[in-house]
Amino acid sequence: MSGYLESQLIILCLSIIYAYGIFLPAASGQLNLGAAGFITLGAYASGWFNLSDGLGVSMPLSVVMAMLFTGAISFAIAFPILRTRGVYMVLATFAFAEVVSGLTINMEFLGAAAGMPVDDHAAVEIVVIAAIGVTLFSFYFMSTRLGLALRSIHDDESVSVLFGVNVRLAKVAAFTVGGMLMGLGGAMYGHHYNYIEAQAFNVLLSIYILLYVLLGGTQTAWGPLVGAIFFTVVPELIRNLAIEIGSDWLADSRFIFFGAFIVLMMVIRPEGVVTRTMQDRVASALAGRRKDTGEAE
Amino acid sequence: MSDNVLNITGIQKNFGGLKVIDDVSMDVRRGSRTALIGPNGAGKTTVFNLLTGVYPIDQGSIVLDGMEISQIPSQDRVIHGMSRSFQNIRLMPHLSTIENVMLGQHARARSLGNLMFPLGMLSKNKWRQEAEDALHNAGIGSYPGEVVANLPYGVQKRIEVVRALVSRPKLLLLDEPAAGLNEVETRQLQELLEQVSQSGVTILVVEHDMHFVRNLCDHVVVLNFGQKIFEGTPEEVHQNPAVLEAYLGREDSQPAKETSDAS
Amino acid sequence: MLILQQLINGLMLGGLYVMVAVAFTLIIGMLNFLNFTIPALFMVAAMMMWATMTGNLPFGNETLLGVFGEANLWVAGVLIAIIVVSLASLVIERFTYRYMKAKYGDATEHALPLVSSLGFLIAFEHTVISAWGSDPLTVVSPFGDATFKIGSLLFSYPQVISLVLSLGIVFTLNYIIRRTKLGRALRSIAERPETATLMGVDVLRIVPIVYVITGLLCAISGVLFTINYTTVDAYIGDTVATVAIAGMVLGGLGNVWGAVIGGLMVGIIEVFSIYIVGADFVKVPIWGLLLIILIFKPTGLFGHSAIGKGKF
Repeated sequence: MSGYLESQLIILCLSIIYAYGIFLPAASGQLNLGAAGFITLGAYASGWFNLSDGLGVSMPLSVVMAMLFTGAISFAIAFPILRTRGVYMVLATFAFAEVVSGLTINMEFLGAAAGMPVDDHAAVEIVVIAAIGVTLFSFYFMSTRLGLALRSIHDDESVSVLFGVNVRLAKVAAFTVGGMLMGLGGAMYGHHYNYIEAQAFNVLLSIYILLYVLLGGTQTAWGPLVGAIFFTVVPELIRNLAIEIGSDWLADSRFIFFGAFIVLMMVIRPEGVVTRTMQDRVASALAGRRKDTGEAE
Repeated sequence: MSDNVLNITGIQKNFGGLKVIDDVSMDVRRGSRTALIGPNGAGKTTVFNLLTGVYPIDQGSIVLDGMEISQIPSQDRVIHGMSRSFQNIRLMPHLSTIENVMLGQHARARSLGNLMFPLGMLSKNKWRQEAEDALHNAGIGSYPGEVVANLPYGVQKRIEVVRALVSRPKLLLLDEPAAGLNEVETRQLQELLEQVSQSGVTILVVEHDMHFVRNLCDHVVVLNFGQKIFEGTPEEVHQNPAVLEAYLGREDSQPAKETSDAS
Repeated sequence: MLILQQLINGLMLGGLYVMVAVAFTLIIGMLNFLNFTIPALFMVAAMMMWATMTGNLPFGNETLLGVFGEANLWVAGVLIAIIVVSLASLVIERFTYRYMKAKYGDATEHALPLVSSLGFLIAFEHTVISAWGSDPLTVVSPFGDATFKIGSLLFSYPQVISLVLSLGIVFTLNYIIRRTKLGRALRSIAERPETATLMGVDVLRIVPIVYVITGLLCAISGVLFTINYTTVDAYIGDTVATVAIAGMVLGGLGNVWGAVIGGLMVGIIEVFSIYIVGADFVKVPIWGLLLIILIFKPTGLFGHSAIGKGKF
């Protein structure tokens, strides 16, 4: 695989992992605008656990520890943050990411402003496997009764309570597992590039990931996959097209189109690209064609 | 096992300075079909909200099958045997029919094993089967490939009833289940509820359709301005002057429905 | 004395934050969403000011130079910033309010205007980067370095004027909201949007006005930023204006007076933080404070709790 394709694949895989981390709480209506914070935690944690000057554990173990670490912090802040609602929650997660950013840039043992080198390398195959694993896990998670509860909470929280759903715990679970996935993504980033720049994960990243998820659709587990693919592949396609036709303007403007596209989507198809109805109809169509009976179920 | 599945004693609810429910007491006999009626604003839905714990009561007690539940949080009341349907349809618009019904099972499926079981992936599991059977018994298909928001109103109303039923309640609270239904749908609903009642579930229904009430229920409680003003059989209620006065001298049901006896 | 000087500096910075915080709080209070185009408009106004003053507009630079003269180009800058931001506000209104349709009222549906505003933020940021790049750009202050002293405390004319202007604008705004017919209409939309129409309020005419007012607040703040701090870049929306959000939350969502006090307080906190822990670390006290307020006292010092409940 060419170097260019490989680097694009890495970016895509990381985006997919991050996106599922945001998707799990988003499926229950909790919007997390602080992805960068969780990713940062995972990246630095795994890097430091793995570093010979740090804890010196092997990479698989450091990654797992980083996920648990990020999960523990997600769990700890989930309770207070999930007491906030709507816009307050968006702000709280945003603030959380800024605090993490402000803290890590000042920690000497993490390299402060110079960033941190990471010892062990995670090859492309590992990152791809991680992305596939996260995707499969997320499909499984959403297919469980807990996933059903999360989607019920999204549609009508009060009624969900009346049927016995422990809304608090469900939201905390989604938030915590989502945090762990983002921690995994950050760890993969650190181990693949073998270096964590000081402000590698910023506000724009948090915004983009949330946008991938919302534009892909939060009703099904296909949404974040479609969102991440669409929004990492299309800008690159446009950029290549621009280089082909020699238009600098087009190359520079691809994010302007991205922004305009978001605005239009919110008016035309706010539920995102992949909706529940679409998933069911596609599934029915596929099943019908396989059975080849003219009968509707 | 006591005679009454529900004892409400002296409950009171204020919103701001307004006494919305004022010293209401009633007993619901096990296996009965009771209607809770009254003019608009009488507080009927509020009573349901108090029973299910949406709002806490200010005074009084609620005893469900011998257990005082007024201090139990809303999410834990369903496991004690009470579930409900809603006046305005409150199904989950983005979930399929089966999934909406399966929400009703949640209280019975709260163990970790049940929570993490991949319901959506293994299509032949017992929970899904139970939901499909419940829909089938109610005469509703499972509408695969559709989210409930696209289904006809009458069907959605009945799905709500089925959802409440799969929680295996002792007491089923139905808030205007016949509202907006045509004659055929109303009859189907009535048959479903008679079936439910025969299986041992106690029914408490808020309704405006007096014809429906007369056909289904054996006991009626009348509220007005947050107070109980009468209770008795449907015939007694029909003739009671206080009740007639509360309704301003006329019943809420259409004359057309009066004369055509669907059953 | 040093403390007092820091306090003064903090108030000056706070003056800029006040207008942005009020812009945020107006939109949250009236239309129930966190409008991320506000930082973008702030940045656009600041960039328009820079571009006009340094002759970097896409067209018309010579004309403006001819009409205003070099010394007064800043006036042109103010006008252009106001015009551009006002037009942008009207477009934004259409796509974050007028054309939106709510279907189910579920949890994420209310985030639609927020997401749309993020789209605008990205589009505006990248438009500016396309035009002028992402590096910092400087401008020469039209007022030089005019400072004056009271005792041993140093004040700069531009900063004092900014503070006075900020407060004056907000006082006027507050007067409009409390005492005029327009203000009554605004308040009825804020308190009960569904019945506002029934009460004779022409919501479809009033809402664009709100957007333009908040746009103007951002524009003036952005222009003052350029004059006072003389260095701008495409990211100052993210780095500067978003801090005003903390001011809004401190004062209580939807509370204009709260935003004034909150904005000033945040300015002071920021300056003191830089003084005590250094500029690198300043994010932590400010956003940490915000996080704590959101968790323990989300209504802020003076605010309303109804706003934002389950909504964006």
